[in-house]
Amino acid sequence: MSERVLGRKSSKFNITPYLFILPHVILFIVFFLYPLFYGVYASFTKWNLFNDPVWVGLDNYKTIMFIKESTFYRQFWNGLGNTVKFVLFCVPFQILIPLVLAIAITQKPIGYKFFQSIFYLPTMFSITAVTLTWLFIFNRSLGLWNHLLGTDVNWYGEQPYAWMALVIITLWWCLGVNMIIYIAAITGIDQSMLEAAEIDGASKFQRFIYVIIPSIKFPLTYTLVSSVIQQFNIYGQPLIVTGGGPKESTFVLLMYIRNLAFGTGNPIAGTSSAMATCLGLVIGIVSLIQLMLLCKQNT
Amino acid sequence: MKKAKIVWRKVPIISFIILFVFTIIFIIPLIWIFLSSFKVDMEINQAGGFLFFPKTWTLRNFAEVLNPNNKQLPVYNWFINSIFISGSHTILAVIIYGMSAYAYAKMQFKGRDIIFLTMLFLSSFPAVTNIIPLYKVMLNLKWLNTPLALIVPGLAGVFNIFLIRQFLYGIPDSIIESAKIDGANDLRIFFRIIIPLARPILIAVGLFCFTGNWNDFIWPSIAINNLDRLPLTAGLQLVKGVYGVQVARISTVAVVAIAPMIVLYAFAQKYFINSISLTAGLKG
Repeated sequence: MSERVLGRKSSKFNITPYLFILPHVILFIVFFLYPLFYGVYASFTKWNLFNDPVWVGLDNYKTIMFIKESTFYRQFWNGLGNTVKFVLFCVPFQILIPLVLAIAITQKPIGYKFFQSIFYLPTMFSITAVTLTWLFIFNRSLGLWNHLLGTDVNWYGEQPYAWMALVIITLWWCLGVNMIIYIAAITGIDQSMLEAAEIDGASKFQRFIYVIIPSIKFPLTYTLVSSVIQQFNIYGQPLIVTGGGPKESTFVLLMYIRNLAFGTGNPIAGTSSAMATCLGLVIGIVSLIQLMLLCKQNT
Repeated sequence: MKKAKIVWRKVPIISFIILFVFTIIFIIPLIWIFLSSFKVDMEINQAGGFLFFPKTWTLRNFAEVLNPNNKQLPVYNWFINSIFISGSHTILAVIIYGMSAYAYAKMQFKGRDIIFLTMLFLSSFPAVTNIIPLYKVMLNLKWLNTPLALIVPGLAGVFNIFLIRQFLYGIPDSIIESAKIDGANDLRIFFRIIIPLARPILIAVGLFCFTGNWNDFIWPSIAINNLDRLPLTAGLQLVKGVYGVQVARISTVAVVAIAPMIVLYAFAQKYFINSISLTAGLKG
């Protein structure tokens, strides 16, 4: 349809459309595409950010992956391991709790809109504001938690408490988004299906397992993948709350990447890029799964 | 239909309890920092490090934190910087994304779909490797330590164009055609017809761009070294280092940081919630 209406001029070359997309295409190339590929290229070089990179082949990857004596080896595996741990600790709750909240909200009890607003609100805050908000909740001697419950937990200085604190802070920050997605999905479920299940004598729990869960299968997978990607990018929470401690047990990969490239006066950008490329590959694989799911949904 | 609704209404008591308990958990940190921001740090120390309610209510923390002459932690400057940076970014984003989306959705030109889909595909590549080269680009452009470094690179996104494009497909071509017959050029059509008609999606995209840019953390903390020129989000990471364990002052900074977002949320809640469903591809 649109072809016929707007395509009349197409016999002669029309530059207008290109002028309309040009600003963004330039921005895309300069600030996304070029840095993206240059980052991968830099991972094969020795580079201090200011001089020209020197090609070293796979050396950076060999160092971070296999040379046990190297600090970079230790940093890479420690950082990657901690990042993966965080994803594993965080994501299951980031799916389950919003699901419970969404189901409760779609029952429309009194004040459900208020509840929904409260759960969504923290997603608006920046990570630094969130960490400042929580900083003294878990503080050992000044904190709200230890005072209210009469405990003496050393939240930031001992494991597993440091992880627990980081996961709780992150959940408070992120839950709302998945919850809204589930609410939208559950509201869209055909009521007659629930009714039919009810007539067939299905209990609430059975209806949940056999009707609600299959109906929102797509949003469930979507949120699973997007939450995994989001948490692989963890950086601000450990940086500000635990400083990577205790004993670098919450030092995540992005913190090492940043420190190597920008932390000292002597940037080790090549090795840092190699670490970033590895992290990017992991995230890329997860994104690819997401893209495939989205395509499957659309067809 | 009716029966299902009646049956489902029996559950809300349990639902209410679950939601109530979670709300308490969610609200406590907020109440705690709001209360703490009115406390006097000295009195907290005298009380052995913990006070639930302020002993003396004071606004002095706010006066100190927001003082434009506060050189140590220029929160006021950061705040102004953030408004300027995120505001400029949002206006530019809406115009640039809108123009591109208009071309991709409503104009005929060679390579249209290939260009767009290629960019959409490439943009899904994870951006963790970008930061280091982006720093180099900024260095060459001499944009480090300037607002440009925080306003411009974020405009390279593609997903928002996708959202606007999808919306523009719903606008009938006849409207555009009749404007053309009346002699309007494409730029005029874009500003006079497309922008008003696409308002809902442009507001959603604008809000996303604003909050996304406002909340960006890792990039501003790398691109800006000058204390006075930091935006709020990146600046806040320095608060702990300066105020240490002064609960009242740090809580005040946290309140100052989250209050604008609470206000924004109160006014634009509908748009935020709608746009989430939009991005998740669910459409309500």
